[in-house]
Amino acid sequence: MNLHDFEAVWKRQELPRGAEADLAALHATFATKNRKLAATLLVRDLAEASAGIFVAAVMGFVGWKLGPTAWPVAVAVALVLGVTGVFLAERVRAHRHKLGVEATMLAKLDADIAELGHQRRLLLSLWKWYLAPLAAAIVILCLTIRAHLPAWSPGRDPWFIGGYFLLMAALMVVVGWMNRQAVRRRIEPRLVELEKLRSDLLSS
Amino acid sequence: MSHAAETEARFATWLAEYGGIIHKITRAYAVRDVDQAELLQEIRLQLWRSLPAFRAEAKVSTWIYRVSLNTAMTWRRDAAARTRWIEPDADVTHVPTGAATPAETADQAEVVARLYAAIHAMADFDRALVLLLLDGLAYREIAEVTGLTENHVGVALTRARKRLTELLKGISHELA
Repeated sequence: MNLHDFEAVWKRQELPRGAEADLAALHATFATKNRKLAATLLVRDLAEASAGIFVAAVMGFVGWKLGPTAWPVAVAVALVLGVTGVFLAERVRAHRHKLGVEATMLAKLDADIAELGHQRRLLLSLWKWYLAPLAAAIVILCLTIRAHLPAWSPGRDPWFIGGYFLLMAALMVVVGWMNRQAVRRRIEPRLVELEKLRSDLLSS
Repeated sequence: MSHAAETEARFATWLAEYGGIIHKITRAYAVRDVDQAELLQEIRLQLWRSLPAFRAEAKVSTWIYRVSLNTAMTWRRDAAARTRWIEPDADVTHVPTGAATPAETADQAEVVARLYAAIHAMADFDRALVLLLLDGLAYREIAEVTGLTENHVGVALTRARKRLTELLKGISHELA
């Protein structure tokens, strides 16, 4: 048998008719999956946005209570809102740039590689756009509060504030490390796999 | 008839007309019955979901090939991430022929089953190329599905054909 014979047998194979598809069931599954996905995304986006807005509101309230001399708190609030804005902008960007499954295989693969590469860069630069602004906001807030505390308050003790900053720094190092691990364990292997697929497709 | 009802009727017609394409892709990318059923459902869902994006300038079959192959490859990658195995190493010489329908002769069913086993042993894109080749698509149509240039399709098909021939060598001799 040669390839033409195989092709002939292949074309003669008996296939089930597609009409067996139960459209009502398909419709129901589609609606359920869509509802679940939409609810998950809404909860996630709301949680991320509201967490940032809540922290900014608490900071703003503290600044307002301290009075006009606590103006640096406004900078801290702006930093927190900036981080929240980046989160939301990312969600919108990812949604807009997502290529549908009806694209050509190469275009879909390129889009998937580009998206994974973008996520990898975002997570590896977490220090720049997430941790550093949050750290700066925490430092500004703490130092402003400290300046308004009475002289006898333990909060003015350099050891107390130094210890607090150290704790925050350690927490941020852990967050950074966890994200790097996620890149190494989940994103990079997937990226390698997709790039291999691409090179398979394009290799001659 | 409302627009939604029209769309639904059109979709049902296409599923009936091109269901064979989906079935072959499903069988080529998933081995176990349970996986095939899951993949089939996922492909139908993705087709339904991407229906509004379908433009009449493209052939329906091209759209179905694109959506089905993209979905199958993504499904395989996701399944591989979920479980350590999707399918055992394909053994081209010993394959069950149970998937064949009664209308197929025993020999023909065995050849088809071995073709699928050979396809299972290939890399994801080669699978797609071989499926498109065996379905008799022209280079231009394969280029429209894959996004490769026609020249590149020629080169890639030569490689895929060679690999398929190697995998089927034993059975070619047996059935000669």
